[in-house]
Amino acid sequence: MLEIKELKAEIEGKKILNGINLVVKPGEVHAVMGPNGAGKSTLSAVLAGRADYAVTGGEVSFNGKDLLDMTPEDRAREGVFLAFQYPVEIPGVSTTNFLKTAINEKRKYLGLEPMEATAFLKFMREKMELMEMDKALTSRSLNEGFSGGEKKRNEVFQMAMLEPKLTIMDETDSGLDIDALRLVSAGVNKLKDGERSFVVITHYQRLLDYIVPDFVHVLYKGRIVKSGDASLAKELEAKGYDWIKAEVEQDANA
Amino acid sequence: MLLETIKKDFIQYKDQAEPGNFLALREAAFAEFEKLGFPTTKHEEWKYTNLKSITDKTFQSTCEIKSLVNELFNASIESKLTANFLVFVNGSLVNELSKIIEKDNSIVISSLANARKKHQDIFNQHFGKYAMVEGQAMNALNTALLSDGAFVFVPKGKTVVHPVVIFNISDASDLNVLAQPRNLIVVEEQSTLTIVETYYATGTNASLTNVVTETYAGKQAHVEHYKIQQQAGACYQNNFTQFFQEADTNINHVTLTLDGTLVRNNLHFYMNGENCNSLLYGLYVTDNNDLVDNHTRVDHAKPNCFSDEKYKGILKGHSTAVFNGKIMVHLDAQKTNAYQRNQNILLSDDATVNTKPQLEIFADDVKCTHGATVGELDEESMFYLRSRGIPEDVARKLLLTAYAVDIAEKIKIPELVELLEQKIDGKL
Repeated sequence: MLEIKELKAEIEGKKILNGINLVVKPGEVHAVMGPNGAGKSTLSAVLAGRADYAVTGGEVSFNGKDLLDMTPEDRAREGVFLAFQYPVEIPGVSTTNFLKTAINEKRKYLGLEPMEATAFLKFMREKMELMEMDKALTSRSLNEGFSGGEKKRNEVFQMAMLEPKLTIMDETDSGLDIDALRLVSAGVNKLKDGERSFVVITHYQRLLDYIVPDFVHVLYKGRIVKSGDASLAKELEAKGYDWIKAEVEQDANA
Repeated sequence: MLLETIKKDFIQYKDQAEPGNFLALREAAFAEFEKLGFPTTKHEEWKYTNLKSITDKTFQSTCEIKSLVNELFNASIESKLTANFLVFVNGSLVNELSKIIEKDNSIVISSLANARKKHQDIFNQHFGKYAMVEGQAMNALNTALLSDGAFVFVPKGKTVVHPVVIFNISDASDLNVLAQPRNLIVVEEQSTLTIVETYYATGTNASLTNVVTETYAGKQAHVEHYKIQQQAGACYQNNFTQFFQEADTNINHVTLTLDGTLVRNNLHFYMNGENCNSLLYGLYVTDNNDLVDNHTRVDHAKPNCFSDEKYKGILKGHSTAVFNGKIMVHLDAQKTNAYQRNQNILLSDDATVNTKPQLEIFADDVKCTHGATVGELDEESMFYLRSRGIPEDVARKLLLTAYAVDIAEKIKIPELVELLEQKIDGKL
């Protein structure tokens, strides 16, 4: 589904990603962990198509298409979803209107007729129930005045509505209390269907107690320096990142 | 030259028999105008707004009314409202299109010319008492040459059920036209009124509208006042609106400027009693070489009053916007709360905004804030929408509409807001 080869990127001349390699197959959940400044958020930004990052090398293919060549909206319409670390508040645009526009733009891109108003509302109601979303939130302006937890739940709700093939979760756990974390994770788990893939970017292991990964990768200095299964996350939780850093430095010196 | 038109017009009035000692009023106003002359960019208040392109032109003050005007009226969004209509073409009342549906006979909705004859007491008590002529060249000019306009009188304790639409059309089909409408609105104690003041234009010649509106709000009165400017073509407008508020009054004012070559709005509030609320909201959408200048002034003359001001602009092409918001907190006006914001989005590198808050505070126990921003659409918001599959152009329009509608929604006539939103949407 997603194939990242030797991906290099920088921002304002500062090299952040120094050759990332990652293959995500349908239905897999990959966790990308790493200390602050390792390049975790840059990876998600580059995959979603944020303009301030310059890709200086490597390639990314998504279902056989060149992802890096696409606009952010085309990436989304091809089935990539980024759950933001800091979802943006947009006053004056209701969640309902926003989602209707997004869904119908995607349908247009795929050559489908727009969804009719009643069908859309029914679809939205179903997903709201599934995600245990408060009805009041969808009639309000997008994320405006939402608490941190509400914003993250709204991200997962949007994901449910847009039905992506690949979801990248950028530190979704940051700023969440344990209850919000449970709700968000439960939402994600409901969307797992054996086809849909997830890349969960996180600093801490605790999110992975709820969203259990098939693979765990450690990002350090813009490279994946170690990969393993879910037990690697536990090890990181117990030992911190220093032993990985030491290992990398040792390799470099050898 | 405009000045020649004006002098010629003024001579005509000298021979007319008018009720009261009106000629003396005209002469005093004309003398003031002659002393001041047209404002130039040397005046601090007119620094960015050059009237030379107007004063160099020749205009005519009268013009016959064309059937085209009916079509324009019927096609307008305002004409769809269930409302009282006073329709003026080049400053003259059009009886066939005007229509009063208010049942209560004690409420007067008529032309100013009519009121000068039939309601002399009210006219004399209020006319020219709020919009000052001294130092205000364009007001002086309007006063010297006024012929007609709207007159609304709401006696004590009455609610005018339907809005009063003051519908102005500049018909410049045949030649350059000059109109100087004069509106007087008197809302007595505990009364309620909604005014929709609207401007259209037709024809390819130039038009100049120099309008003055005075509104008196008696104790506990509530006035909703909406000004909608969409004069397409070579249209120039100088609009002076003065509110005079007694204690415990509420005024909600919205100005939407959606078209016009040069529009200068002067919006003044004077709070003459305690516990007044004054709300001032504005939206301007400019394009081409248009210039829209909003000068506002809020006089907090008494304690415990509240004012909230928010003006937003969207600028395209080579257009220019000016915002100057003056808040005067007088010595007595303790416990004043005054807020002001001016936000601008530039959609073109060639557009210009000049924005200036001007707070003069003479009391010591007040809360005043102001803020001005000039920028582009928020990049984070754009990326967020695009990352959900919404193409750039659709995302931009969604954000601009949301930004603009925030102001349009201050109008409390839902069917008008809905139609205006479509109009605004079409402009973006």
